[in-house]
Amino acid sequence: MVGLSVGEKYFIQGGINQNLRSDGRKRDTYRPIFVETGVIPQANGSARVRIGTTEVIASVKAELGRPSALHPDKGKVAIFVDCSPVAEPTFEGRGGEDLSTELSVALQHCLLGGKSGAGAGIDPSSLVVAEGKVCWDLYIDGLIVSSDGNLLDALGAAIKAALSNTGIPRVHVTAAASGDEQPEVDISDEEFLQFDTSEVPVIVTLTKVGRHYIVDATSEEESQMSSAISFSINRKGHICGLTKRGGSGIDPSVISDMISVAQHISEQLITKLESEISAAEAGEDEL
Amino acid sequence: MEYVSPEGLRLDGRRPMEMRQLRAQIGAVAKADGSAVFEMGNTKVIAAVYGPREVQNRSQQIGDQALVRCEYSMANFSTGDRKRKPKGDRRSTEISLVIRQTMEACILTHLMPRSQIDIYVQVLQADGGTRSACINAATLALADAGIPMHDLVTSCSAGYLNSTPLLDLNYVEDSAGGPDITVGILPKLDKVTLLQMDAKLPVDIFENVMQLAIEGCKAIATYIGEVLLENTKQLEYRKGL
Repeated sequence: MVGLSVGEKYFIQGGINQNLRSDGRKRDTYRPIFVETGVIPQANGSARVRIGTTEVIASVKAELGRPSALHPDKGKVAIFVDCSPVAEPTFEGRGGEDLSTELSVALQHCLLGGKSGAGAGIDPSSLVVAEGKVCWDLYIDGLIVSSDGNLLDALGAAIKAALSNTGIPRVHVTAAASGDEQPEVDISDEEFLQFDTSEVPVIVTLTKVGRHYIVDATSEEESQMSSAISFSINRKGHICGLTKRGGSGIDPSVISDMISVAQHISEQLITKLESEISAAEAGEDEL
Repeated sequence: MEYVSPEGLRLDGRRPMEMRQLRAQIGAVAKADGSAVFEMGNTKVIAAVYGPREVQNRSQQIGDQALVRCEYSMANFSTGDRKRKPKGDRRSTEISLVIRQTMEACILTHLMPRSQIDIYVQVLQADGGTRSACINAATLALADAGIPMHDLVTSCSAGYLNSTPLLDLNYVEDSAGGPDITVGILPKLDKVTLLQMDAKLPVDIFENVMQLAIEGCKAIATYIGEVLLENTKQLEYRKGL
């Protein structure tokens, strides 16, 4: 946890009031973002994202499975987050589990849409190989390597980058089975399907400190927050998910104000992120 | 299965006495007191050191020396098949213990009484030799944190397959079921601090294989020395000395 003296607390709060934060940023500026893709060769897709000194790794693994009986025409996507004690000693043993669960659930809300999969960034019906019989199960794993605030935005960006780096082998159903039998499948080694990740939303967290709200809070600033709202917003400016954290209440009018700010910021973030992702992919191809 | 071809090449194209490519980077975790990433081929681990600092749990405090703790964890995506393992299974507890004992042997704990040093290692990719890679990463992280040590411990593994001693086994060679020796040495003092072996091996061959692993450790020690020197030069340069 962050231990701050009274003076330091005043300094942080005063800076935010005057629109000049401790590291020289304005209230609505992000720290520099770096993206690197293909960091885990064993996964189908992976990315490392660094926002300032916060660093996360996301990996996507695809496994063939059976679609659930309720949604025979949809694949499954699951998100898990792991907090490594490397990032923070308090994550040792079972210490990181609460935060892991909180982040996994928030990411599921923000990226996967409702229970039916409607409104999700990844179209679950594109994961089906043979309806009711075979589908891809996507396992998205996040790992926090270095933690300095704003973990949710970093994880969201890393997952978006990892998905655009993901190649899923094309599957041919060789023998169509009748009834309950599982069909035989042939997994191609050469042909890969890419995801269209332009619909995957980004997450923008607005952290309320005092009377103002800021983006991309560091852990010192997060320790002074009264509440925070994470918006997941796609390219069209639609809100795909929303999570509020922190105890104190927020006036409804402030929330709608925050939404319009978040929409504005998300546009810049998406542009920035996509240029970083394509730069990372280009860099990887050269190697 | 043939692990060494008639031409004397291994599955990944190495010679029997060749090590995988080493890569190390110091200072990967900004908030830690010391940290390092260490790669041996496809095995990649990250280590962070926090401390020396006040003992968190008073009942564990030792009056005349520092308390050294270690936690080893594997990322869900580190292995070929995705597995979600609970934290603190037997294997990781054992490796934590091995790393802790090895590092404790080289840290000058008597200089930091009533304090605590935490070593956290996280495996990002596992392709055989995680134990050795973790120890090497932990050494670098401890050096980065400026913790006083007798010497830089380095570790390397060696095995014996198809009547050939092999240096630095990868996952396929490791799971072949042959003997696998992990050695940790203090290179300057020329002392062995860690020695583990599974399966059986005649004594004369064991000596050969262990000697090979020790040579591997010494090569790693030279590399780690270079990395630290380069890092110090960078620091010096930034300070404007």
